[in-house]
Amino acid sequence: MSKFLRNVQFQIFLLPILFFYTVFTIYPLLKSLLLSFTDFDGYVKEYNFVGLANYMKIFQDDAIVSGISYTLIFAIASTVLITVVAIPLALILDQNFATRNLHRAIFFFPSIPSGLLLAYIWGFILAPISSGVLNKVLKTLFGLGPQPWLSDPVLAKVSTIVVSAWAGAGWHAVLYLAFLQAIPKDYYEAAAIDGASRWQQIRSITLPLLAPAMTVSVMLLLTGGLKVFEIPLALTKGGPGFETHTITQVIVLRGITEVQYGLASAMSIVFFLIVLVLAFVQVSWMQKREEGIQ
Amino acid sequence: MNGGTAGRKWLLDVLMLPFGLLTFFPFYLILINTVKTPTETAINPMSLPKNWDFSNYIKVFEETPLLRSFGNSLFITVISVLLMVLIGAMAAYPVVYNPNRLNKVIVVYLLAGFLIPFQTTLIPLFELMTDFGLINKLWGLIILYMGGAVFVFFLVSGYMRTLPKELSEAAIIDGCSVWGVFWRIILPLLQPITMTSIIYQTMWIWNDFLAPMLFLNSQDKATLVLQVYKAKGEFSVNWPLFMTLTVIVLVPIFIFFLFMQKHIVKGIVGGAIKG
Repeated sequence: MSKFLRNVQFQIFLLPILFFYTVFTIYPLLKSLLLSFTDFDGYVKEYNFVGLANYMKIFQDDAIVSGISYTLIFAIASTVLITVVAIPLALILDQNFATRNLHRAIFFFPSIPSGLLLAYIWGFILAPISSGVLNKVLKTLFGLGPQPWLSDPVLAKVSTIVVSAWAGAGWHAVLYLAFLQAIPKDYYEAAAIDGASRWQQIRSITLPLLAPAMTVSVMLLLTGGLKVFEIPLALTKGGPGFETHTITQVIVLRGITEVQYGLASAMSIVFFLIVLVLAFVQVSWMQKREEGIQ
Repeated sequence: MNGGTAGRKWLLDVLMLPFGLLTFFPFYLILINTVKTPTETAINPMSLPKNWDFSNYIKVFEETPLLRSFGNSLFITVISVLLMVLIGAMAAYPVVYNPNRLNKVIVVYLLAGFLIPFQTTLIPLFELMTDFGLINKLWGLIILYMGGAVFVFFLVSGYMRTLPKELSEAAIIDGCSVWGVFWRIILPLLQPITMTSIIYQTMWIWNDFLAPMLFLNSQDKATLVLQVYKAKGEFSVNWPLFMTLTVIVLVPIFIFFLFMQKHIVKGIVGGAIKG
């Protein structure tokens, strides 16, 4: 068989992925970019170029501005909270104790079902009326009146972040756990012979060797956090007002529901840039940090 | 760090107990409230029910097309995941076994996809799906998900590079075709990473909400997650009935978790270290 024919046979294997990826990812991306400079409203297949007008409108649109600010707060706060919980959790789940496997399963399970389901379950616990489970507990224990967990601007933000942390911490603990188990045992033995305490061992062996895991985990959390949609939607429907509206929700609202394709496209391009910049800054900063530590 | 005395081990069991209970508490809560009346749930949400009444379980099946939705979810997930894994593995084959300049460019082209959020492509996708008449079609959603084959491609091509090349080279010398080598030699060797890919993509597609919400609008096409979303509006005043629905929807996920836990953990590890 000629070399050329063999090459052609090999290249055929790439055709399906190139087709689907181009049609369902690259083409829509470029189309979004194009639409973001137009006044396309979705009904008439004709449109005019309006320059940066849509991009200007973004910053005058309260829903969009709230959407961006809440999504950024959510992404950063949930990343910090989950990281702060997951690392100690992984350190504990790495120890040898009787119920270790049971605890691993319990903490891990919430990351398996859909966020929508989990958030609805929490909606029952956080119901702002006095029949809400948490409010009942607070009343019995401390005689506190009902707290508006999901209808106060600040509490609603906190609640959605805490529920997300509950759902995601176990998954990230498992990720850290994997890296912990890859650390050779003789590092600890050598340190113990040198008289290092358990805490010193954690500080000078474990945590530095976890730095690469942290880069990966934080990147997944940040990019995932920016794409958040279901948990706030199910808990607060984006309210009160636009306080817990996510970027995704705004794109669906302005784009699909109100058919303002131009504005929603500009919004989605800005979103892409936010993801790009934040991921780039975080990864390059944390990789530099890894080099500094090791 | 597996040292420590017997006393210390006990300490961790006791120390972790409240945290474990707290994490599990929401699941306990929905379970016990499926067998209560709405009034009892409102008055005593946390206590065990006075009378165990399982009629909600029957009612949920009567009032929502749950089996239908389960079938839709199963159909979409199984077909999408199988196709995605096949397409992803196929693409990795020439990149690893027939490297050339063109393929290097293609890899960079595919790599760019990782940072493009689905949300950014949403408006044109909606237009595209409408134009192709793929709205409210299970197959439409499956085709849409095929973009996700890129993730499988990267998982598989990383793994494929670690495979020994001798087997496939020997097969080619013996006259096996390019296509035959892939099916008979490469694909069987990929089994561990195929398992990881299947688990990742299954969890994504089974749990996905955004795409079904946008692209499936009639109740008979709804996936399980979408069915829960629709039911939340209808049962909003009847928490026990809604909890029952949630518990039923959680059953397949729980079974998947029990059987796959080990593989899922391995998958996270494999994916994270390569990613």
